[in-house]
Amino acid sequence: MSIVLTRIDNRLIHGQVLESWVPYIHADCIVVANDEMAATPLKRMMMEASVPSRMRVEIGSIEDTVALFASKKLDHCKALLLFGSTIDALRAYRLGLIYQQLNLGNLHAGEGKARLSCTIFIDRDGLEDLEQLELAGVKITARCIPADIERSWRKLIPNRGGKG
Amino acid sequence: MIAVDLLFGALVSLLCGLDRTALLQVMISRPLVAAPLVAWLLGEPLVGLQVGVMVELLWLARLPVGAAIPPDDTQVSIAGTVLAISLGKALHADSLELLLLCLLVAIPLGKVGQFFDHAARQYNVRLLNRAETALANGNLFAVEFQHLRGILSFSLAAIGTYSFIVVSGLLLIPLCWSLVQHPLEHSSSWLQLALPLVGVAVILGTINVSRALTLFCATFGTAFLLMWLV
Amino acid sequence: MSLSRVTRIHVWFRMLLLQGSWNFERLQGLGFLYALLPALKKIYRREELLKVGKEHLSYFNTHPYLAPAVAAAVLKLEEQRAAKEELPVAISDFKEMVAAPYAAIGDALFWGGLRPLAAGIALFFAAKGILWAPVVFLLLYNAVPIWFRVAGFVRGYRLGVQSVEFLQRHRLPDWAIHTKEAAIVVLGGFSAFLVFQQLQQQALPSWLGLFTLLPMIMLGLIARKGVSTLMLTLLTAIIIVLAGLFWADLTSWVAL
Repeated sequence: MSIVLTRIDNRLIHGQVLESWVPYIHADCIVVANDEMAATPLKRMMMEASVPSRMRVEIGSIEDTVALFASKKLDHCKALLLFGSTIDALRAYRLGLIYQQLNLGNLHAGEGKARLSCTIFIDRDGLEDLEQLELAGVKITARCIPADIERSWRKLIPNRGGKG
Repeated sequence: MIAVDLLFGALVSLLCGLDRTALLQVMISRPLVAAPLVAWLLGEPLVGLQVGVMVELLWLARLPVGAAIPPDDTQVSIAGTVLAISLGKALHADSLELLLLCLLVAIPLGKVGQFFDHAARQYNVRLLNRAETALANGNLFAVEFQHLRGILSFSLAAIGTYSFIVVSGLLLIPLCWSLVQHPLEHSSSWLQLALPLVGVAVILGTINVSRALTLFCATFGTAFLLMWLV
Repeated sequence: MSLSRVTRIHVWFRMLLLQGSWNFERLQGLGFLYALLPALKKIYRREELLKVGKEHLSYFNTHPYLAPAVAAAVLKLEEQRAAKEELPVAISDFKEMVAAPYAAIGDALFWGGLRPLAAGIALFFAAKGILWAPVVFLLLYNAVPIWFRVAGFVRGYRLGVQSVEFLQRHRLPDWAIHTKEAAIVVLGGFSAFLVFQQLQQQALPSWLGLFTLLPMIMLGLIARKGVSTLMLTLLTAIIIVLAGLFWADLTSWVAL
C-alpha cells in the first residue's frame, strides 16, 4: 500500500499539507496530479521549491501519475496524493489509479458553487463526480487538517440541488 | 476594584487579539507576551510569567495554516491571568493553587475562541460582498472602508472570547474554590511542571521532523546529566 | 511610469493590515486589494483602475510575512502592464503561482520553526522569573520576519517576477527543518531544566528526573494519533491531582 492519503485541494502543496498532514501520516513522498502544473515549468519549479529536499516530489499530469503508480516505482514510499479538483480525482480513478479514501481539503468558492463547509465549495458537476467515486467504493470525507473532526461529505450537503 | 482589572484585561485582550490574525503579527498575541503584559498592568508581573510558561507551549504546535483556526491561547492566557489576580484579591488567596484553578477553567474555554473567530471570518464574507458591489459602483473609498470594518469583526471576536472566559470564571471559580483548594495543595507544583511538559510532548508528536522524539530524548538526557553533575 | 517611494512605503504599511478582513470566501483577497490601492490609483486612470481592482479582489492567500514580496512584484508588473510592455507572466497567474508555495514555506519556517525556537529560549528566562522574558522573545522572534517583510518588498519591486528565485537558491524549506531541530534541542534543554528545578525544590533525588521521559514520550505518541491538546492537558491534570490526593492519604496513613 503506497498511498497513505488522497486529498483534493485547490492549492495543492501548501502549509496545511506540509505542516499538518505529512507528519501525521508519515508521508515521505508527495505526488501532485495536475495537468496545468505539469505543463507550466515555472509553476512546477515554485511548487517543488516549497518542499524540503528530504521529501520526494512527483508532479505530473493525470495520465503520468496513473502510469507512475502503475509502474510500482512508488511502492516502497508512503505517498500523499494531491488532486486540484473533483474531476481530476475521478479521471485518475477511472484510468486505474485506485484509492480507498478521499479527503476533501480546500475547494474554493466560485460562481454557482454551494457551500459544504467553510473551506469546501462545490458545484453540481463536482457533486456528481464525488457521487460516482462513492459508487465505486471510495470513502469520501471532509477534514481540513488532522486536528479537525472528520465528517462524511454526505452530511455536509445542505439540500440536494439547492443553494448553500 | 475588580472592574478596573477586567477593563485593563479587555484592553490587552483587544490589542493582542488583533495581532493574532487581523494586524501586524508581531506575536504580542503569544501567551508568553500577552500574560506578562496584562499582569504587569495589574501590578503582579510574576503571575503573568507563570501563566506564560504554562500556556505558551500548549498550542504552539497548532499552526494558523490557511483556514484552520487554532484554539485561542491568547485569550486563555489573558483571561486566566486577570481572573487569578483579581480573584486573588477578592478571595484573599494569592496562591499558586488559585492560579492553576483559573487556568484549568480557562483552558477548555479556548474552544470558544475558535467559535468566535470562525464567526468573524464568516461575517467578513458579507463585507467582501459589499466591497465587490462598491467596486462595481466605482466607490473606492467604500472598498477600503469594508476592509477596515473586518478589523472590527476580529475585535469583537477577541473581546467576546475574553468576556466569555472571564464571566464563566467569575461565576465558577468562587463556587468551587473552597472545594478544590485543599486537594490542589498536594499537587500544585507538579501541575505547574506538567503543563509546559504536556505542551512539549504535543509539539514532539506533531512537528514535521523525522526522529523528533529521539532528538528530544538525547538533548533532555544530556542537559539533565550536565545539571546533575555540575 | 514608476511609483514614488512614498507610495511604495504606503503600500508596505498597508500590508501590515493584510488579514484585517480575512474571510472564508476569498481569504486575503480584499486585504490584498486594499494594500495595493494607493499604488493602483497612481498607475491607472479611473476606468482601468476599476477593472484592475476587480481582478485583485479575487481569491488570494499566502503567508503574511512573505505577502509584501508578492505585492511588490505585482506592483512592478502593474507598472509594466500600464506601460503596455509585454509581461513575462500574467499578473493573476503570478499571484496564483506564488501564493501556495510562499504560504508553505512561511508556515514551515516561521510558525513551525522560528516560533518554538524563540519561545523555547525565552522560556528559560521566564522560568527563572526574569521579567524581560517577553522582550527577549519578541526581539529574537521578530528580527527574521521583519527582515523578510522589508527586504522581500524591496527585492520584489526591484526584480519583479525574478524575485521568486531566492526561494530556490536558499532552500528555505531545508532551513525550516533545521530551525525545527534547533527548537527541539532547546525544548529538550528547557524540559530538563524544569524537571531538575522541581526535584531540587522538593528535595527529591535527581535521577528520578530521567523517568519524566516516559510519560512525555507516551503523550507525544498519543498526540501524534490526533488526540487534542485539551484532552491531554485535562487527562494529565486529573491524574496528577488524584495522585497527589492518594499520596497525601498514604503518607498520613503511614504516619498513624
